[in-house]
Amino acid sequence: MSFLKKTGTMAGLVLLQVLFLNRISLFGYVTPLFYLWFIVRFDSSMSRYSMLLWGFVTGLAVDFFTGTPGLNAASATLAAMFQPAMVKLFLSKDRREVIIPGRASMGAGPFAGYIFLMTMLHHSAYFLLRSIPLEDWVVITAKIVFSTLLTFIAMLAVGYSADKPNQRRSI
Amino acid sequence: MRSLLDFLAKQAHVLLFILLEALSLLLLFGLNDRQRLAFMTSANRLSGTVLEWRARVESYIGLKGENERLLTENAYLRERLLSLSDSLELERVSQGESVFTVARVIDNSVRKDDNFITIDKGRSDGVDQGMGVFDSRGVIGVVEVAGSHYSVVLPVLNSKSSISCKVSGSSSIGFLEWRGGDPYRAMVNDMPYHTVVSPGDTIVTSGYSSAFPENIPVGVVERVEQQRMSYTLAVTVSLFVDMSDLRWVYVNTMKPDSELEELEGPE
Repeated sequence: MSFLKKTGTMAGLVLLQVLFLNRISLFGYVTPLFYLWFIVRFDSSMSRYSMLLWGFVTGLAVDFFTGTPGLNAASATLAAMFQPAMVKLFLSKDRREVIIPGRASMGAGPFAGYIFLMTMLHHSAYFLLRSIPLEDWVVITAKIVFSTLLTFIAMLAVGYSADKPNQRRSI
Repeated sequence: MRSLLDFLAKQAHVLLFILLEALSLLLLFGLNDRQRLAFMTSANRLSGTVLEWRARVESYIGLKGENERLLTENAYLRERLLSLSDSLELERVSQGESVFTVARVIDNSVRKDDNFITIDKGRSDGVDQGMGVFDSRGVIGVVEVAGSHYSVVLPVLNSKSSISCKVSGSSSIGFLEWRGGDPYRAMVNDMPYHTVVSPGDTIVTSGYSSAFPENIPVGVVERVEQQRMSYTLAVTVSLFVDMSDLRWVYVNTMKPDSELEELEGPE
């Protein structure tokens, strides 16, 4: 993906997050953090440095609108750091070709596992950092679990329609 | 040694990771309240503009309810006008300036422990720090930071908010405070022990601070508890304003009496 295209995708997801998704607050506590989709879809040809920087900038961009400097930046950087390891965890064998993590490249089951773990990691960091000092563990846990589920379902739905099977990319 | 260097070179991204995380955490925990507010949306041109688009679109969606509310307010104001026209000569003569500035709420939260509201008026519109914000239903908060075109309001739903108020028709005052949680209820603390107050009474602003004029509605008393240690009452109030549904608000831009300001000193 070219730099410009990436910037466009990022801007789109950040705007979707701050203009629309941040307004969703199911049962008072559950908010989907779908901008993580940008990091989930990092392709395996990207360098670790650029993954980290893109992750950081995305988080900071969301922070910029929500008035929480550092909160999304920290959690998104964490997600970007562990993204390659998570992909590897769910790929059946060592694959040489460049892949964009998705249903087509990984298979439906592994992809679901992958996005679930990614969402769990990112949302845990996000809600833990946001709730410091950590007083009400029940509420924090509920926020993490239900927001993870909501984002996960959204990503499954988008992932399902985003790429059709047997459309593997290789270089 | 060679393999160690190789290993370090391979893991060099870990350094970048640590650096970025440190920077994020510094931003998150190292900034004081003012710096955080300055970073925040609002006083800021770009995010202010973007959030304003959203508010514009959303204002169409809520147009019907908004209309009804304005009609209700109109009716109420007409009623007041009639009943007050007799005693008008006794009232302070208006100095010809408009007293309230109308602003649009462009960002708002109710679910955090410390909520903030952003409005689309700033210093260039006469809005300044310490001015009270309310709408047709009642009290909303006080301007915390005024940018040139946008301002951040500290609403009742913020643990740092404290607004002087009283039971309608009485003169003993208390402070409207909020401890997180339920966005529809707040507490009036430090009300003197002897105050006659019971569930169903209306709480209004006291007019003792320059933020709000007297008698802006706050909410209805739900429960009264006696604080034996401090000989005060803790009153639970159901707020008139649904803080999750704010669109247009009034800012009390009346300049406070300069002599009064001087006497009270900076807070």
